[in-house]
Order: sequence, then structure tokens, then C-alpha cells
Amino acid sequence: MLYPLGYAIWLSLYNYDIGSGARDFIGLGNYLALLVDPRFWDTLNRTILIVLAAVGLEFCVGLLVAYGLYRLTFGVRTLNLLMFLPSIVTPVVAALFLRWIFIGRWGLLSAALISLGIFPPDFLGNPTWARITVVLADAWQFTPFMILVLYAGLNTVDQSQIEAAQIDGAGVWMLLFRIMLPSIRPLIIFVLAIRLMDAFRFFDTIYVLTSGGPGTATETITLYTYALAFRLLQIGKASALGVLTLLVTAALIALMIRLIYRRERGAF
Amino acid sequence: MRQRDKTQALLFLSLCAFTAVNLTPVIWGVLTSIKHPVDAFSVPPKLIFAPTFEFHWQVWVEKAFWHYLINSVVISVATVVTSVSIGTMAAYGFSRMRNQASRGLLFGLLAMRMFPHILLAIPFFVLAKSLGLINTYPAMILALVAINQPFTIWLMRSFFVDVPHELYEAAAIDGCSAWQVFARVALPVVRPGLWVTALFSLLLAYNEFLFALVLTGPDTKTLPVAIAEYGGEDINYWSLSAAAAVGIMLPIVACMMALQRHLVRGLALGAIKG
Repeated sequence: MLYPLGYAIWLSLYNYDIGSGARDFIGLGNYLALLVDPRFWDTLNRTILIVLAAVGLEFCVGLLVAYGLYRLTFGVRTLNLLMFLPSIVTPVVAALFLRWIFIGRWGLLSAALISLGIFPPDFLGNPTWARITVVLADAWQFTPFMILVLYAGLNTVDQSQIEAAQIDGAGVWMLLFRIMLPSIRPLIIFVLAIRLMDAFRFFDTIYVLTSGGPGTATETITLYTYALAFRLLQIGKASALGVLTLLVTAALIALMIRLIYRRERGAF
Repeated sequence: MRQRDKTQALLFLSLCAFTAVNLTPVIWGVLTSIKHPVDAFSVPPKLIFAPTFEFHWQVWVEKAFWHYLINSVVISVATVVTSVSIGTMAAYGFSRMRNQASRGLLFGLLAMRMFPHILLAIPFFVLAKSLGLINTYPAMILALVAINQPFTIWLMRSFFVDVPHELYEAAAIDGCSAWQVFARVALPVVRPGLWVTALFSLLLAYNEFLFALVLTGPDTKTLPVAIAEYGGEDINYWSLSAAAAVGIMLPIVACMMALQRHLVRGLALGAIKG
């Protein structure tokens, strides 16, 4: 694992065209070229936007459903299992399933809207809608993961604490926000960090769903790297972009952990 | 009491509704795969139609998807055997050594989880190309073992940590060598965990797309790549690719049934027991 990383960093210092095999050392030239490339900044902003929207949505819905499951007294296991299916299906296949829902005219969603007399937007062809679709696609695939982890977390909360709060007259929501969430805070940080990392390298679904299109409306940083490396064959520049992605991800996660700890300190 | 029952029923219904919405794309895909194209393209969508399994037959047999299935199976099984056997030994080592250095290594492994895979795909591609390994099984297997390894080690370690220490001590007193303690005592105890780890890494290998896209060629293409590239030139394209998609999904559903009790541990590994 370290060897390929080192090799990637080394490659990122070269102007390497895999087609001709030409390779010249250009130092940090690739990084500089990327930093002044407006496409890089566009892609980065877009990626962060998509990732934050998707992870935020997943967390809210996931928490709600997990809490619902927690309060439910029967049928939990079956429901949980059924809900989990989208998460475990091959991402490419999952993306195809979604394509058949969202694709213009024939997709289930469009067809249903048309028969209700509403003219549907082109979910994959319109830049704004395409982004929303991509967020929904990510949410569809990974919310079950959130549900599962959060549900397991809620079950570890100390029962006597809950009973004490109930006796004191805490309502259903109060119980969730004041008692349960604070006590599973480490788990929440962990699961959010994991999801952020994974969402950042989200590739399969977008590749199949929109291939970054229309234009570059849904091109994330991973897709851009892929295009650079395997379409334009600029291995050096693509490696540099990969290293930058790694740095951005690490920075984002460090920032998140800092923020959460600071809030905690403020609370006391 | 009455009030409580009502809330429960309401809760149950809303969760059922959520599940139903969640499963719609999958169900729709399955329906598409057994519809004639005429029914598949109708507006409003048809729910009642004459089912046909003709497309399942066509895509797997006539369009030679069975060939990609063999590729997928060879690559996934080889990956699982390699990465689980190495991972198990490494995990056993980590579970018995509790010093600073091994903790550092463990967290280093966890950090590798966050690597953008594309960053690793590029050097793998360049290496495989210069060694002439593109479109061969070993390139793909090695790459998958490398990206699976942190996961296998962490998961197996969580099973080894559960083994009571006294068991090792008793075995050592009875005169077992270090290797015998591992092979005769520790391994049999964690055998269920071994299966769980194997199934999870099987899923990871079977589902992998990016590396497969980059490292495989016409002879070694795996199912996800094959279906993503499957072109729309055929008039029955929709029904055919739906049939292929459903076929790819079936083994996964089987895996999930086998793994249901362990899903949380596999996915949130390390979350509950740091």
C-alpha cells in the first residue's frame, strides 16, 4: 500500500505521457498547473457540495429511521434486512437500477409524473437536476449503512439513564437529542468521518449514472482524475490531483474533528 | 396502552413505507428484466404484464455473460483466499501484541481506508502496464488484495480480541508451540469470524469497479465492468441489461442472508469496540 502511494507521488513530479512513454521531470509543475486550473477548483467545489449534501441527508434520514426502529417493538430485524439491500448491491448495478428510475421519458419517475399530467424535468440532462439526482443516488445507497450503525449505537445507550430521563418527564425527542445523541457522540463522529472519506472517492455510481455530465455538471474530483489519467493519458498530472485529493480529504476530516471537539469544550 | 399500540402501528407503517420506497429501484429493475420491451416502455408504467425469462437466458448464455461471471469468480475467490490467509495471521499477531508500535501500525492501516482509490489505481496501472500484466488475473488479484488488506486485518482482529487470554496461556502450559497455539487453539475458536471475513471480502472483490475498469481487458473483464460497458446497440438492450443486473445481484442477496447477524460488525468495525 505504501509503495504505490510513493510511486504515485513520484509520478506526480513528472510530465508523463503513457502513450509515447515520454517522461520529463518537472518538479512541482503539475501541482502549479492544477492550482491555476479553473476546472480543478470547479470540480473541487462541486465535489464538496455534493459530498456535504449527500452525507448530511444520509445522516438526518438515517438518524430518524434508526430512532424509529429503536422505538419499534416488533419486525425490526426483517425491516432492517430489507432496508439494507441497496447498500450491498454492486454499486454499478445499483446505479443502473437508479438510471431506470430517473432516465427521461421512460424512467419510472418520469413515466409516473407524465401519467399524472406533470411534465417532468430531465433528471439526468439538466445540470441542477443531475446534481440532485447524484446526491439522491448516494443517499439511496448509503443511508442504510447510517441506519444500521446508528441503530446499533442507540442500542448501546445505558438503559438506566433513559429510564431516569423518562421519569423526569423527558419527551420522545428530548430523549433523543439530550440523552442519546450525546452519549453516542464518538460513534457519530466515526460514522460521519467514514462516510465523508467514502463519498469523496465516490466513483462507480456517477460514472454509470451521468459520467460527470451533462457537460461537467456532476464531475467530481475522482472522475476528473480518471479522465486525466485514462482519457487524456496525463499520468503525472492525474497523480498530482490524486495527492491533492488525499490532502483535501485529510484536511476536511481534521477540521471536522476539531469543530466537534471545540463545541464540546464550549458546552462545559 | 391503547395509545401505545397506535403509535407502534403508525411507526411500523411509516417504516414500511420508507422500506418500500427504498426498494423501489430494485423491484423495478427486476420487473424490467422479465418484461417484453413493449411493456417496459409503456407510459403509464405497467404493473400487470406477461412475464418472460427469455432475456435472462439471452444475456447470460447467448451474450456470453457467463464468461464474465467466470472472470469475476476466479478473481474474487483468489482475492479472498490470499487476503484472508495473510490478514488472519497479521490480525492474530496484532491481537497478541499490545505495544505502542503495533497500535501505530494498526491506525496506519485504518488511515489507508481513506485513500482515494483513484490515487492507487494510477500507479497500479502504470506498474501493470510496464510489467505487461494488464488484462491478466494476477494484476487484478494483487490490486484487490492490497486494497482489501486493511479491512480483513481489522475485522479479523476484532474476532481474535474476543478470545479469552487464559485459553492461550493454558495451551502454552500444555506445551504448544507459538504456531500450534495459533493453528490449533486460536483458529478453531474464531472460525465463524473467519467465514464472515471471507464473505465480506468476497463482496468487496465482487463489487469492485474502478480497479476492474482500469486493470482488466477483454479476457478478464469482471461483471460490473461488463455490464457498465454493455452497449445500447441492441434493440432489447433494456431488458437484457436488466436481466444481467438482476443476475449479478442474486449472489449478493444470498451473501446478505448469510451475513445478516454480522452486518454491523463488518461495516462499523472498530466503532463499537475501539
